[in-house]
Amino acid sequence: MLKTIIKREILEYLKSAKFLIGLAVTLALAAGSTVLNVQDYKGRLQDYQSATQEMKNDRFYIHLYRPPQVLSTLIQGKDRKLGNSVTVTYLDIPSTTSGYMGEGRSQRRRLVSGFAAVDFAFVVRVVLSLMVVFIAYNAVSEEKSSGTLKLTLSNRVPRDQLLIGKLLGGWFVIMGSLAVATLVSLILVLSHSFIAFGAGEWTRLLAFVGLSALYLTVFYALSLFISVLVDRPSISLMILLQVWVLLIVICPNLGIIAAENFDKLPSPEQIEHQKDAAFQPYEAEFKKVEDVFNQGVQKGEVSKEVSIRNIELWATKANLNHQVDEEYGRKLTAQTNLAQAISSLSPAVLFDQAAERFGRTGMAGYERFMQEVYRYWQQHVERTKLMYTDHEAYNKAPAIAFNIPAEPAAEAFAATWLDWLLLAFFALALFALAYTAFLKKDVR
Amino acid sequence: MKTIIGKELLDHLRSVQFAVLLAASVLLFAMNGLVFVQHYTRLRADYQKAIATVDQQPSTTMTRLYRQPSPLQFMAEGGEKSSPKGCWLRPKLTLSPLPAETVNFKMPDIPELDWAFIIKIVFSLYVILLAFEAVSGEKERGTLRLVLSNPVGRLRLITGKYLAILAGAAIPLAVGLLVSLLIIGILLPSVLSLPNLARVAFFFILAMAYLSLFGFLSLLFSSLIPRSSVALLVLLSFWILFAFFIPDTASIIAQRYSKVPSEYEMAKLVGPTLQNEVFGRVRKVVERIKKGELKTEKEARDEADSAYEEGQDIVRKLYDDYDNDMRERAALARRISRASPAALFEYAAEAVSETGPTAEARFFRDIRNYSRIYDDYILKKVGKVVGTSPWSFSMGTTVNGKYVSLESPWPQEYQGDKSDFPRFSESRPTFLDGLESGLWDIASLLVWNILLAGLAFSAFLRTDVR
Repeated sequence: MLKTIIKREILEYLKSAKFLIGLAVTLALAAGSTVLNVQDYKGRLQDYQSATQEMKNDRFYIHLYRPPQVLSTLIQGKDRKLGNSVTVTYLDIPSTTSGYMGEGRSQRRRLVSGFAAVDFAFVVRVVLSLMVVFIAYNAVSEEKSSGTLKLTLSNRVPRDQLLIGKLLGGWFVIMGSLAVATLVSLILVLSHSFIAFGAGEWTRLLAFVGLSALYLTVFYALSLFISVLVDRPSISLMILLQVWVLLIVICPNLGIIAAENFDKLPSPEQIEHQKDAAFQPYEAEFKKVEDVFNQGVQKGEVSKEVSIRNIELWATKANLNHQVDEEYGRKLTAQTNLAQAISSLSPAVLFDQAAERFGRTGMAGYERFMQEVYRYWQQHVERTKLMYTDHEAYNKAPAIAFNIPAEPAAEAFAATWLDWLLLAFFALALFALAYTAFLKKDVR
Repeated sequence: MKTIIGKELLDHLRSVQFAVLLAASVLLFAMNGLVFVQHYTRLRADYQKAIATVDQQPSTTMTRLYRQPSPLQFMAEGGEKSSPKGCWLRPKLTLSPLPAETVNFKMPDIPELDWAFIIKIVFSLYVILLAFEAVSGEKERGTLRLVLSNPVGRLRLITGKYLAILAGAAIPLAVGLLVSLLIIGILLPSVLSLPNLARVAFFFILAMAYLSLFGFLSLLFSSLIPRSSVALLVLLSFWILFAFFIPDTASIIAQRYSKVPSEYEMAKLVGPTLQNEVFGRVRKVVERIKKGELKTEKEARDEADSAYEEGQDIVRKLYDDYDNDMRERAALARRISRASPAALFEYAAEAVSETGPTAEARFFRDIRNYSRIYDDYILKKVGKVVGTSPWSFSMGTTVNGKYVSLESPWPQEYQGDKSDFPRFSESRPTFLDGLESGLWDIASLLVWNILLAGLAFSAFLRTDVR
C-alpha cells in the first residue's frame, strides 16, 4: 500500500509544471554560479601558486599566503572576502590578513563591497528551499479542498500510511532534485584539470550534501505541517512564504543587530591603550637599548649583546601586541557566536554555519592559518637572533616550513554537531506536529 | 473605476499577506531607525573629534582629510561601512586612505538593513504575493468571467487592479517609513532638515516606481499563466534573479572580463618599478658623481633629489592607475548588475541619499581641489613642494672621499605661524546633483515600468477569460 502511495505521489510531482520550472531554475542557477566560481578560483589559484614560488628566500619582510580553497567553487563562504596574505617581520605580527588574491580586506574593499556570493550553497539555501515549499504547500490542503482526501480515506488506507506515503513521495522528489543539481555542479567543477578532490574533499562534500538534505527536509516538514493545518492551499502557501522570508532573509540580520548591541566591542583606542599598558614594564629598557643600538649603527659597531637584546625586546613587543590582538579576536568570535546563537531558530543560519565549515571557507580555516603564521613568526625570531650569535648558521638556516595543518573532516563534524542536531530536531519536531495534526484532522 | 479600486484594495487589506507585510514593515523600519540613530551618533562624534584634532595640528608634511558621515545612510547605506573615513594627504596629491570604521569581519556577510534593502527584497516579494493571482486567481474561481460580463472595460479593470496593488504596498510602506522617521526625528532631529525631507519624499516615489514594476510583472504572468501557483513560481524565479543572482554575480563577471591585474599581480609590479624608475635614476646620478661630473655634496644632493622626485612621480602614478583601474572594474560590475531593476533601484537610492561610489567620487574631487590649495600654502611657507609615494629610499655613495647617504626628499615642516592653514571643506551637493547622478538609473526604472506595463496590458487584453 505504502509503495503505491509513494509511487503515485512521485509521479504526480514529476508531471507537475511547478516541479519542472523549479528544477529548471535550480539547474540554471547552480550551473551559472558554479561556472563563474570555478573561473574565479582559477585566477586566485594561479596567483597563489606564483606567489608562493617567488618569495621563499626573504629574510626580513616575509610574505605568507593563504591558499584558496577548492571547495569554494561550491561553497564560497568567506574565502574571497578574507584577505589571503600576511607580511611578518620580527618587529610585527599582523592581527589580520590583507588582500592580495581575491578582493577581501584590502584598501580597495570598498570598491567591491555590496556584492555577496552566489554559489551552490546559495542555490540550496534559497532556490531549493523555495522549491520545497512549492512542492509541499498543498500536499494535504489541495486534496482536502478538492475533496479527494475524503475519497482516498474512505478506502482501506490508514491515515498514518497516507501521510508517510505523501511525505516519502515528496521527499524522494526533493532529494532527487538535490542530487541532480549537485551532480551538474560537480561535473562542472571536476571537468577542469586544475581541480582535484582528495579524500578529505570528498568526505566534506558528502557531508555538505547530507547537510543540504537535512536542511531541505526541515522546510519540507514545515510545509507539510502548514499544509495539514490550513485548509486553503493559497493561504498555506502565503503563510509558508512569509515564514520563509522571515527565516532566510530577516532572521540572520536580527541576530547580528542584537549581538552588536548586547556585546559591545572595545574601540581601536582602547586596544592601543591595552597594548601600551602591556609593554609598559619594558618601555624604559626598550628606549635605552634602542638608543644604544642606533648610535652603534651610526658608528658602525654594535655589540652582540645589544643587538640580541634589541631583537628580543622588539619581539616581546610584537608578542604582547599579538596577545592583545588575539584577545580582541576572541571577542569578535564571541560576538559572532552570539549573533548566530540568537538567529539559530533559522535553519538557513545553521546550514550556512555548517556548510562553511565543511567547505573550509569559514572563519575556522582562517584561524588555523593565523595560528600557523604565529608559529612561523616564533621560529623566524629565533632564526633572526642567529644573525648575531652564529652568522654562519644563520646563512645556512633552511627556509622555515609554512604548512597550515589540514583540518580532519571529523573535526568539522565535531564542531558542527549542534547545527546538525538542531536541524534534525526541527525536522523531526515539525514532522511529528504534521503527523499528529493529520491524525486529528477532520477530512470532510 | 473607483469601485474596482475600492473592491480590490479592500480584498488586499483583508488578506493575510497585507497584515503580515504591515507587521514586518513596522518591525523592520523601527529596527532600521534605532540602529541608525546609534550608529550615526557614534560616527558623528568620531568625525567631530577627528576634525578637531586636525585643526589643532596643522602640518605642511601631511594632513588628514575626513569625510562627513552621510546623514541619510538609513535610506541607502551604499557600502559606507567599508569606505575609508577619509585620507592622508601629502604634497602633490599623494593619498593614502584612513582606515574604515572597525567592523567585526568574522560576522556573516549580511546586507545592511537600510530602507533600500527592505524595499528591494522584502517589499518586492510582497508585491508579488499581493498581485500574482490578480488575474489567474479570478480565472480559477470563475469570477473574471462574471466581472467582465458587466459593462466594465478590460483596460479599466486591469488599471484598477494595478492601482489597488500599488496602494496595497504603499500603505504599509508609508507606515514603515513614518515609524523610522519618527524614531530618527525624536532622537536625532537635526537629521530631518527640510532638504533631507525632500530627499525622503523623493525616495518614496522612487520606491513606488520600483514596486510598480513588480506589480506589472505580476499582472503580466498572472494573465499569461492560467494556474496561480505556477505564475507565482515563475514570479519568484524572477525575484531571485533580480534581487540576488544578477547583482551578486556581477562582481565576479566584471573581475573575469576586465583586464585589471589582480592585487597580487599589481604587487609584483611594484618591485621592478622601484628598481628601474627610482634606483635606476639615482644610480645614474651616482655614476655621474663617480665620473666627477658632480663635484660638491650640494650638487650631488640636488641632482639626487630631482631624480628621486621623477621616480616618485612614476611610483605614485602606478598606485593611482591601479586604483583607477579598480574603480573602473567596480563601475563595470555596477553596469553589469544594472540588468536587474533591483540594482537600478539600489543605485538610484544611493544617489538620492548621497552615499555610495558617486558620493565618494565627489569627496575625492574635493580632495583634488583642496590639494592645490594645500600645495600653494606649502610653497608659500616652505618654498618647495616635495612629492612622495608610499615608499622612501636611500642610496650611499662617496663625494670627495666623504660618505654621503642620498635619501629621497621628504616634505619639510614649517616651524612658524600656521594660523592661516587652509581648512578642508566638503562641497554640499544639492538635491538636483543627486538626481543628476542617479538620472540613468531612475530613467531605466521608468523604462522597465513602461515596458512591463505595455506587456501586462496587452497580455490581459488578449487573455481568454473563460
